[in-house]
Amino acid sequence: MSKRTTLQIATYGIVCLAILLVPSFMDDAFILNKYARYLVLGILALALSLSWGYAGILNLGQAASFGLGSYCMAMALKLRTVPVHTGKTGLPDFMVWNNVETLPWFWEPFYSLTFAIFAGVAVPVAFAMLLGSFIFRGRVTGVYVAIITLAALVVVNLLIIDQQRYSGGFNGITDLAQLELFGLTFDAYSSSSYYLIAISLTVCLFFALAVTKSKAGLILQAIRDHEERVRYFGYDVARFKTFAFAVSAGIAGVAGMLYTIVMEFASPTFLDVQLSLSVVIWCAVGGRQSLLGAALGAIIVTGMQGALSESEIFLESWTLIMGFVFVMIVLFLPKGLAGAIESLVDRIIPEDHAVQVKSRAAASRRGVENEAGSP
Amino acid sequence: MMTTSQSDHLVLSDVSVTFNGFHAVEGLNFKVGQGELRCIIGPNGAGKTTALDMICGKIKPTSGKITFEGKTLNNLEEHEIARAGIGRKFQVPSVFSELTVRDNLEVSYSKSTGVFSNALIFGRSADRDGLEKLAEFVGLEDYLDTPAEYLSHGHTQWLEISLLLAQDPELILMDEPTAGMTVHETGQTVELFNRLKGKHTLIVVEHDMGFVKEIGEVISVMHQGKLLAEGTVSDIEQNPEVREVYLGSRGIARA
Repeated sequence: MSKRTTLQIATYGIVCLAILLVPSFMDDAFILNKYARYLVLGILALALSLSWGYAGILNLGQAASFGLGSYCMAMALKLRTVPVHTGKTGLPDFMVWNNVETLPWFWEPFYSLTFAIFAGVAVPVAFAMLLGSFIFRGRVTGVYVAIITLAALVVVNLLIIDQQRYSGGFNGITDLAQLELFGLTFDAYSSSSYYLIAISLTVCLFFALAVTKSKAGLILQAIRDHEERVRYFGYDVARFKTFAFAVSAGIAGVAGMLYTIVMEFASPTFLDVQLSLSVVIWCAVGGRQSLLGAALGAIIVTGMQGALSESEIFLESWTLIMGFVFVMIVLFLPKGLAGAIESLVDRIIPEDHAVQVKSRAAASRRGVENEAGSP
Repeated sequence: MMTTSQSDHLVLSDVSVTFNGFHAVEGLNFKVGQGELRCIIGPNGAGKTTALDMICGKIKPTSGKITFEGKTLNNLEEHEIARAGIGRKFQVPSVFSELTVRDNLEVSYSKSTGVFSNALIFGRSADRDGLEKLAEFVGLEDYLDTPAEYLSHGHTQWLEISLLLAQDPELILMDEPTAGMTVHETGQTVELFNRLKGKHTLIVVEHDMGFVKEIGEVISVMHQGKLLAEGTVSDIEQNPEVREVYLGSRGIARA
């Protein structure tokens, strides 16, 4: 393992540990819930970093996977509410209001929590594989991928709003039971939910890191760099891109499920365009080519938004301040905060740097030779 | 015209391609035997690069048939053709500029091409020493951890050649491998090609006649999308048709 990889794993470990230790210093349930929400959005951002930063797929429909995961969890928790909330025959309340007589077939399996958790990952993954194989088999690239994914998001969003009888429409699915898993109850306003989310973040972060460190991750970076060239080495580019797209969707699905737990409802706003575009901004601020950077970007930006919008002084001007910060970062730190820190590390660890300087000098020397040598 | 290839390793029979009514290649018949080193020359627009593009799948032929080791390539995708054992070096050096030389080599070492098999490979590949030897072989051993974008043009050419060696295909298609190389580097390339001859089948498109003379056994001359002549250097030099269309009155020696 290279020195850089060791350093990277150590950094990831330290940050995750710090996140896990927060409840030891903080027992305000309201604040913990808020932090947990930021962490979930961090998971969502690292999922986008995997597809955008590593595979070059700018997925503007990331919120679709997030929302699908969120609804899967909400359906299971809705079916677990005490009978008073679920109508006469154990039907969810909003179905009763919409004159639905029996529980629709696709709600049935959600009596099983195991199925719901499986579906929370599998549904976004299946959706991404279907959409991805159309996009990437058709060799759609660049800005068109962004447009198609955005359009797909709008379609899913409208579909959920439109099917009010089965999805709760604009209101979403509210009034949920608390998640009970392994004999533990995950109250949204407790450290148990915080730990669940912090551990999920750690697992997702290291899983995504493993993907990027594998040879498949290297091939994805090669695809980002020069897609055409990769084909002539025998790799099926469409399959690799669909893989990255689907893994990213799966992680976003996990984030969606956790978001339902921490928010205690699921709503069409979880898969609206605004959230989807915000993820892109978080990644850009944190550094899209760093999983940890993207996650921290989301935590920092949403945290700042929260703090500014709640303080009386910035009540009117906080959006302006956030906008200014984004513009500054895009202008001066094109690789985000993580990129800035990386170039700082490059300076501190001189061996890597020396090699680069040496080779850069050699490269320019060769360039001169070439010019002299060519007739 | 003479035919030298006994075995039919790569066969193009009556291959044509049309772009919006323009016949880039028309009725091209072309055979290369196993282990042969074939040079293709011809004036600009003769269809040399298009011929390579059709072999490696970048362009689909409008009509005709391309077979490699008895397998028809016409309807295969690029990566399937690559898996069948055909590698390509492009006219403009094509490497992964953001990746280091080492990572470039790792990617090109493509014995296993599946998504999941590659998702389970961590760290350096099994053939790490082999890849480092390869870098040494083309003189890039000092640049293993340098991103390819910092390499000079000549080094980038060498890197792409070494990527092909790591890929280790049966048939290597080279499009102007010496473009932009110094005289010394061209000499090294000649040496390399003479070493590859026999182990790999090579098809080289080249403008540099000095280079072709050094490495070429059989030369194919293309003109206006067709094969004009085929033979040894001296055959080609004496062929009046070739002199007329390609070399003008100046003769091949001064081209």
